[in-house]
Amino acid sequence: MSSVTLRELTKQYAGNAGLSLDSVSLDVAHGEFICLVGPSGCGKTTALRMIAGLESVTSGEIEIGDRVVNDLAPRDRDIALVFQSYALYPHMTVFGNMSFGLKIRKVPKDEIKAAVTDAARILDLEQYLDRKPAQLSGGQRQRVALGRAIVRNPAAFLMDEPLSNLDAKLRVQTRAEIARLHHRLGATMIYVTHDQVEAMTMADRIAVINLGKLEQVGSPRELYLRPANQFVAGFIGSPSMNFVPMHVESIDGGIRVVSAGGDMDVNLDDVESAMIHRAGVSDVVLGVRPEHLDHRPRSGRGLQLSASVDVIEFLGNDEHVHLSSGSHELVAIVDARTPLTIGDTLTLSASSEAIHLFHPETGVALK
Amino acid sequence: MLVFPFFVTFIGLMVAVLTERIRWATAFKAIIVMPIVFSTTASALVWRTIFDLDPHIGVVNAIEQTVSDWFSTPGAYPLNSSTGETVASLATFNAKGGPGGTLVSSSAVQPGGTVMMGLTRISSVTLQTLGAKTPVAPHEMAAGIAGLVWNDFSTSQPSNTTSIVSDEHGLPNLRLSLVSSKGSSVASTVTDASGDFSFSHVAPGSYHVQILASNFQIAFVGTFWLGSPSLTPVSSLNQTAQSLLSVPLIDLAMIISYIWIWAGFAMVLIGAGLAALNREVLEAAEIDGANEWQTLRRVTIPMLAPVLTVVFVTMVINVLKVFDIILNMAPGSSQGPATTLALTIYNDGFTGGIHSGLASAVAVILFLLVVPAMLWNLKKIKG
Amino acid sequence: MSQVPSVRERRTVGLLKRLRLSRAVVNVILGLVAVFWLVPTISLLVISLRPESLFGESGWWTVFTAPSQLTWGNYTTIFSQGFAAGGVLDSLTTSLEITIPVTILVALISSLAAYSLVFGSWRGRDWIFLVIVGLMVVPLQVALIPVVQLYREMGNLFGLNPYGTIPGVIIFHVAFGLPFGIFLMRNFLTGIPKDLLEAGRIEGAGEWKIFYSIVLPLALPAIASLAIFQFIWVWNDLLVALVFLGGNVHTPLTIFLYDQTRSLAANYWIVSTGAVVSIFVPLIVFFSFQRYFVRGVLAGAVK
Repeated sequence: MSSVTLRELTKQYAGNAGLSLDSVSLDVAHGEFICLVGPSGCGKTTALRMIAGLESVTSGEIEIGDRVVNDLAPRDRDIALVFQSYALYPHMTVFGNMSFGLKIRKVPKDEIKAAVTDAARILDLEQYLDRKPAQLSGGQRQRVALGRAIVRNPAAFLMDEPLSNLDAKLRVQTRAEIARLHHRLGATMIYVTHDQVEAMTMADRIAVINLGKLEQVGSPRELYLRPANQFVAGFIGSPSMNFVPMHVESIDGGIRVVSAGGDMDVNLDDVESAMIHRAGVSDVVLGVRPEHLDHRPRSGRGLQLSASVDVIEFLGNDEHVHLSSGSHELVAIVDARTPLTIGDTLTLSASSEAIHLFHPETGVALK
Repeated sequence: MLVFPFFVTFIGLMVAVLTERIRWATAFKAIIVMPIVFSTTASALVWRTIFDLDPHIGVVNAIEQTVSDWFSTPGAYPLNSSTGETVASLATFNAKGGPGGTLVSSSAVQPGGTVMMGLTRISSVTLQTLGAKTPVAPHEMAAGIAGLVWNDFSTSQPSNTTSIVSDEHGLPNLRLSLVSSKGSSVASTVTDASGDFSFSHVAPGSYHVQILASNFQIAFVGTFWLGSPSLTPVSSLNQTAQSLLSVPLIDLAMIISYIWIWAGFAMVLIGAGLAALNREVLEAAEIDGANEWQTLRRVTIPMLAPVLTVVFVTMVINVLKVFDIILNMAPGSSQGPATTLALTIYNDGFTGGIHSGLASAVAVILFLLVVPAMLWNLKKIKG
Repeated sequence: MSQVPSVRERRTVGLLKRLRLSRAVVNVILGLVAVFWLVPTISLLVISLRPESLFGESGWWTVFTAPSQLTWGNYTTIFSQGFAAGGVLDSLTTSLEITIPVTILVALISSLAAYSLVFGSWRGRDWIFLVIVGLMVVPLQVALIPVVQLYREMGNLFGLNPYGTIPGVIIFHVAFGLPFGIFLMRNFLTGIPKDLLEAGRIEGAGEWKIFYSIVLPLALPAIASLAIFQFIWVWNDLLVALVFLGGNVHTPLTIFLYDQTRSLAANYWIVSTGAVVSIFVPLIVFFSFQRYFVRGVLAGAVK
């Protein structure tokens, strides 16, 4: 069993008042591909390095395959780490780089050769084994870094933004390659990235971290559809979800939510009314994804708003339209065939399923 | 001794800037850097040879000699300057002191006539080296002037100062010129081994024979670079100012040799600084209309300021530590004006009567002098 | 591509046109400078290759018109003594006996110390480094008297006085070579990405393994620079040798030269020959490792 478990993992750097990682608990099942995402400096890399044993643990526990590894040296943890910079030894050949760890473990020569050749075949590196890293392209170096991890056949693969040094096209390609590799090896992988698209496309589950705290863990679908709070809602999805502060008004025994300027109003359904009721708030933050705003008037339940067009970004199939409604700014994705000019006033709507409501102070999604 | 760090920095900068323009930069750099790897002992010896007093050994004095000979060829009959001898005092017969240290025949002569001029006090050694022969009275020649210049001193007849005596000598290799009554030189010649000379095809008129001043020119003696003579800039200054401004030649020689050793270091450092400069900034200056000199002065040098400071400070520390070059270059007697603290420590502490206390005191002073450099270093690294 | 010159190319061409005149001037100036710089070295070489008898007779430069003056005579004379104490060859050996151990020790200790300063995580390493940087500018003259006394004390206490012995000189040189060595190595090692060491650590390498199979190979250029510098410094040292080995039978080349100038003040020819022997070794080192030498100059700008 090579599961990885974090229990209330906390990290405080000397001379730093705040916590870099604040009581993070996470279960990674055997063979699972989990992504740690968050903005830069959120603590995700710190968490990964703690799992690897490169950072000491302030408090909490790390378990790898039923074994508490807090006090074990990195070499005794049976993990492999792919660095953001690849960290290839520049004075060794590709073969030397990939075999270094096995040599240290005194693995017999022919076994090393077999393992390296095997990994090289998987990664399409066979003809480069005699080259030095400086003679390789970025993508090849990245594959060598992966290969160095593969030959070790570790209990868990840790990856620290391994794609961030590749250009956009290669990144998409390698993304698929890593996903394929995961299927093939069936290994536990913990993958750190700041790019939510990478996380969404590759991960079985995503752990969103912000300011050292774990915000939400769940499958990409779950995070997209049911974000636990305003941060996750804004972080997952591109362009970001629109947020508008609204005021709750009671009318005729029911409630209605209107924006400050009064250009937007939401005809709440029963579930939503109940949510606001339960929370007992007089203000609420409304969230709606740009792709869920329809350029069609709607009758019945849901959101209705009118806004004027500020900027149009043509993307081919569709357009990102930046709008202002009163003092609020919104983004909507509309069909590129819609004839629009700057200054037009649009009427947009969203169904009540597409509407997210968040607590105005805590940012927690209302339930 | 702040002069030296300044010069090294300056030369290093100039050379570094200029090397960027030549094709053989690599070879040039190697040549300039090479002296750094020599031991200062060896360098000092080299420079000691170069500045040697004897023009047969020291290049500098040999060049000085050549240059000085170029402007004033030493004569065959140099005056003995130590006894205050003058040209006029050499004349005994039919000769008198002329303008500008020349000798002129007292009597005038016409073509077809002869001239005899007697000089004295010519050393027998000079006569011997020149191979002087017994003088022969000149024969008259048509439309020409013949003559004789001889050492009019006979050991057998010391009082005879008017005619030739057999144990007298002609004066060879004297440069003469024939001067017309208007005072202009119309012809020139040189006396032969027996002191005879002649001018042929002389136009009618009255002439005097002139013995040129260059015949009595004192030969060049080398400059004593490694000694205490000083180079005094302006002689009209009062004494205090003079003694402040005058630089002992030994210091000058040492500065030159030290520049020779260290300019390569400065060049490498400044060169690297130049290479690291943002080319686009220089190009921007160019686009803004700055010429090369303006770019160098207003853009390059200010941008290089940190590197230049490093070079300068390093050189100041180096000067404080100078030791072996002085010990080896300056002969014992001249070490006085060239002494540095470092040499004092050695001399007081480890040679002759050992004065450890005194040497330690000097060491403390030396240490205190480098403290600012130390702090500056620390600041640079922390910042 | 080839028909349309890039902006940069065009700019360069323009620059070149304006520089053409001054380029000739620059070449002449630098040519003169180069000649000036070469004269001393050439003079030394020529003097050592001319017979003793010609020395005061005519300038060494006459050799260019009379190459027949050249002879190996001076070299045969000074080498004829063989390895007897006081001879050139004995001094050459002594110089090597001092220089080689110092170079190796400084390179080794500096690398280890720098490794610990850069990649270690013990408290106070920043302070130690600052102290080392501070020590770099201290002239070694300052320490001569205290160290001689310290050596004497060692003699009194343990009956082992390094004063006047080659190890005594070596210890002094190593001690004074370390601050610069550590400074240079630390500066270089900070450029090695920490990731590499961590990768090694994750793959199971211990500190020693990381040091000699990852850090050391990468730091080789810096070690070469340091070693060359150290070698040349120690090889050329006169002061320390004079203080610690002044009265010794076996003395390094610098003292040999110094003694020759003192005792045979006029014998330039023998001194010059000895000087050529003494600069021969550093010159070889310089020309074979010029690249590393220049790098060392750059790294050690503060010494």
